[in-house]
Amino acid sequence: MTMDENKLTFDKITADLTHHIRINKGFLLWMGFLTVSLLVCLYAYSLQLRNGLGVAGIRDYVTWGMYLANFVFFVAASLIGMLISAVLGLIGMKWLTPITRIAETIAVAFAAVAGLVIVSDMGRPERLAYVFLYGRPQSPILWDVTVITTYFVLSLLLLFLPLIADMAIIHRKVPTLPSWLKPVYKFLSLNFTNHPEQNKIINRSIRILLILLIPAALSIHTVTSWLFAVTSRAGWDSTVFGPYFVSGAFVAGSAAVIIAMFFFRKNYKLENYLTDMHFNNMGKVLATVSLVYLYFNINEFLVPGYKLKHADAIHLQELFAGKDAILFWIVQLGGLIIPILFLLFRRFRNPMPLMLISAAVMIAAWFKRYLIVVPTQEHPFLPIQHVPQNFVHYTPTLIETLITIAPFILVLIIITLISKFFPVIPLHETAVEKGVDHVKFD
Amino acid sequence: MRFNKLLLIFFIFSVGTRVSAQTWVVPDDQKGVVASFKFTPDMQKQGEQIYVKNCQSCHGQMGKDNWAKLTPPPGDLSKEKAQVQTDGELFYRITAGKVPMPEFRNILAEDDRWWVIAYIRSFNPKYVQPNPVAKAAFTGRIVTLAMQYSDPMKKIVVSATEQLKEGQTGPAAGVEVMLYVKRYFGSMQVGDIKTTNAKGEVMFEFPADLPGNKDGFVEVTARVNDPKSVMKTTPANAALAIGAKTDKPSLTDTRAWWSVRSQAPIWILLTYTLSVIIVWGFILYIVYSIMKIRKLSKG
Ligand code: HEC
Repeated sequence: MTMDENKLTFDKITADLTHHIRINKGFLLWMGFLTVSLLVCLYAYSLQLRNGLGVAGIRDYVTWGMYLANFVFFVAASLIGMLISAVLGLIGMKWLTPITRIAETIAVAFAAVAGLVIVSDMGRPERLAYVFLYGRPQSPILWDVTVITTYFVLSLLLLFLPLIADMAIIHRKVPTLPSWLKPVYKFLSLNFTNHPEQNKIINRSIRILLILLIPAALSIHTVTSWLFAVTSRAGWDSTVFGPYFVSGAFVAGSAAVIIAMFFFRKNYKLENYLTDMHFNNMGKVLATVSLVYLYFNINEFLVPGYKLKHADAIHLQELFAGKDAILFWIVQLGGLIIPILFLLFRRFRNPMPLMLISAAVMIAAWFKRYLIVVPTQEHPFLPIQHVPQNFVHYTPTLIETLITIAPFILVLIIITLISKFFPVIPLHETAVEKGVDHVKFD
Repeated sequence: MRFNKLLLIFFIFSVGTRVSAQTWVVPDDQKGVVASFKFTPDMQKQGEQIYVKNCQSCHGQMGKDNWAKLTPPPGDLSKEKAQVQTDGELFYRITAGKVPMPEFRNILAEDDRWWVIAYIRSFNPKYVQPNPVAKAAFTGRIVTLAMQYSDPMKKIVVSATEQLKEGQTGPAAGVEVMLYVKRYFGSMQVGDIKTTNAKGEVMFEFPADLPGNKDGFVEVTARVNDPKSVMKTTPANAALAIGAKTDKPSLTDTRAWWSVRSQAPIWILLTYTLSVIIVWGFILYIVYSIMKIRKLSKG
C-alpha cells in the first residue's frame, strides 16, 4: 500500500489526519458508556473509602493484591513512550513517525493513572502528600513517586511539543473543530507561525526530552521492581528484577501500541498512514522485546530453581505445579512463548492477527504482574499463628475488582480524548517528512 | 441403671451449662450487689471518660445505636435491655466479660467499674440508685513484697510480709512469687513460680548474660501469683546492676540505609537531590523555551 507521493498536498494530509476531530454520535455514545462504567467503579471506591480496605480481599498476609499488580502493570505500559520515541527515535528510524504520538499518548495516559492506582491501595488516601513531606530519601517508595511524577511530566511535554504546530494548523484549517475549542487551540499553539526560530526551539526541546526520557523511564520501572527486589522474599529476592521488569514493560507497551494502532487506523481511516509495513515492523519489535523478556524469565526461574533454597522451592512449586500453576502456564505460554512463535511468520504480523496476538499478550501481561505480586506473600517467612483462612489465601472481592477496572476506564477516556481532539499522527511532522512543508501562517 | 441415670444427669447438666454459656446468666448472689457509695455527677463524668476509652469502640456512642457489628451484638447500653438490669448484674458483666466482651476485672479498678455504671445510668431518667452498702472489711491476706540482691549468693531475694492483726506485720509463708525483667516489648519472666518459705523468703537466680543498660542495670519486678484475686498484694520493683553491660549505639544513631530521614547517608542525599535538580532544571528550561515560542511569532 504505497502512496503516490507526488499527489500529496498539504491540504490532503491535513484533511486525512484531522477529519475525525469533531463531536459525533459515536464519540458521545462511547464516552457516555465509559463515564457510566467509571461511575459504577467510583461507587465501589466510595465504599472502600467509607468502610476501609477490608472491603478488598487483602489481609495481613497478602497486603499487596490486585491493586499493586495493577500499579506495576500501569507503570509498565507507560514505558513504551520511551522505547518508541526515545530509543528507536534517536536511532533515526523514520518509519516510526506516525506511531510516536500513539506511543506518547499511551505513555501519558498510563503514567498519569499509575499514580492514581497506587492511591487505590491506600487506606488513608488523603495522606498521599506525606510521602513527599515525610518520605525518606533512602526508601524506594520516595524514589518511585519522584520518578513517576518526573516521567509523567516529561511524557506530557513530549506529547505537547509536536502538538504546538499541529494546533496552529487545526484551529485555522479544521472546520469541524468545535467552536468553543478554537480559542483554546489558538492559545495553546503559542502563536506558532512556522518561524525557523520557533521550530528550532521545538526541535531542541524535543531532543533534550528524548534524552532525559531514557534514564527517567528506566528509573521508573527499575525502581518499581526494587519495591519488590529489595526485600528478601522468595520470588522477589532477585538481582535481575530491574531488567526483568523493564523488558516485560516493553512487551506490554508494544502490544498496547499495536492495539491502539489497529483501532485508530480503522476508526479514523488512517490506512494510508498506518500501513501494513508499520504493523509488520511493530510485530518485529514485539517479537524482539518478547524474546528479551523470555530470556529474563528463564533467568528468573532457572537460577533459583537450580539452587532450590527452601522458600524458593515452596514458591516455585506453587507456580509450576501448585495452586497458581494453571494461571502461570497460561500466562507464560499464551502470553509469551506462543506469541513469539507466531510472530516469526510474516502473515501473523498483518494488522488483524497482530492485534489479536497483542490482545493476548496484553491480558497475559496483567496476570503476569498478578503472579509476580501475590503468590510470594502467601508464604511468609514468619507465618502468623491461628489466622483465618482468608488471610492465607487471597481472594479478590467484587468491590476490589471494580476498583481495579476503574483505572483502565480512565486510561481509555484519556486516550479517547487525546486521539479525538488531536491528530493521531503528527500532522506537521508528516508534512515536513513528505516534503510538503509549505505551510504559510498569517 | 444407676450409671445410666448418672449419665443422664451429667448430660442434662452439660447441656444446661452450654445454654447458660450462651445466654450469659449472672449468678444469683451477684445480682444484688450494689455500690458502696452514692453516685455523683462527678463520678458520671469520670465514668464517661472511662466509657469512651474502654467501651465505645464496641458499644458505640450512648443513645446512638451505633455499636460495632459483632456477634452477639454489644447493644446500646442506654437502652432498655441493659437498663432493666440491676446494678449488680451490670457490675458482674463488666467484671467477668464474655467473649467477645472483654473481662475488665484486671483492667479497671472496682471504683472505675462503678463509675462507668454511674455514667450508663445517667441515661435512664427513671433510675433510682439503691442504697449504698459499705464494703465488708477485707478478710483475705494483705501481702507486700520487697526485693534485694544478695551479692555473696548471687541471687535475688524476695521477701514477703503480711499484715497481721492490729497493725502488726510478719513474714508471709506459702505465697507464690513470680519474677519479671523488663525488656523492649514488655516483661519477661525469670525462672519459675516459687513459693515463700517460713521466713517469707524466696530466691531467684538471675542469668548473668542478660543484657542490661550500659551500666548493667535491669528493671526487675516481683509479683505475687494470685490469679483469683483473693489477696491484696503489692509488687516490688528495683533497678539492679546485675545485667550484662551493653552499650550498643542505637540503630538510628548513625547514617545508614535503614535509619531515619535525618540520618540518610550523604551519598544518597546527594544523588537523589542532584538527579532531581538536574532533570527538573531541564524541564524548567524547556518550559521557559516554550514560553519564548509565543514571542517569536513575528520576525
Ligand atoms: C470488644 C468489644 C466490647 C468492649 C470493648 C466492651 N463490650 Fe460490653 N459487650 C460486648 C458484647 C459483644 C456484648 C454482648 C455479649 C452477649 O450478649 O453475650 C456486651 C455486653 C455488655 C453488657 C451487657 C449488655 C446487655 O444488654 O445485657 C454490658 C453491661 C456491657 N457490655 C458493658 C460494657 C462496658 C461498661 C464496657 C467498657 C468498660 C464494655 N462493655 C466494653 C462487647 C464489648
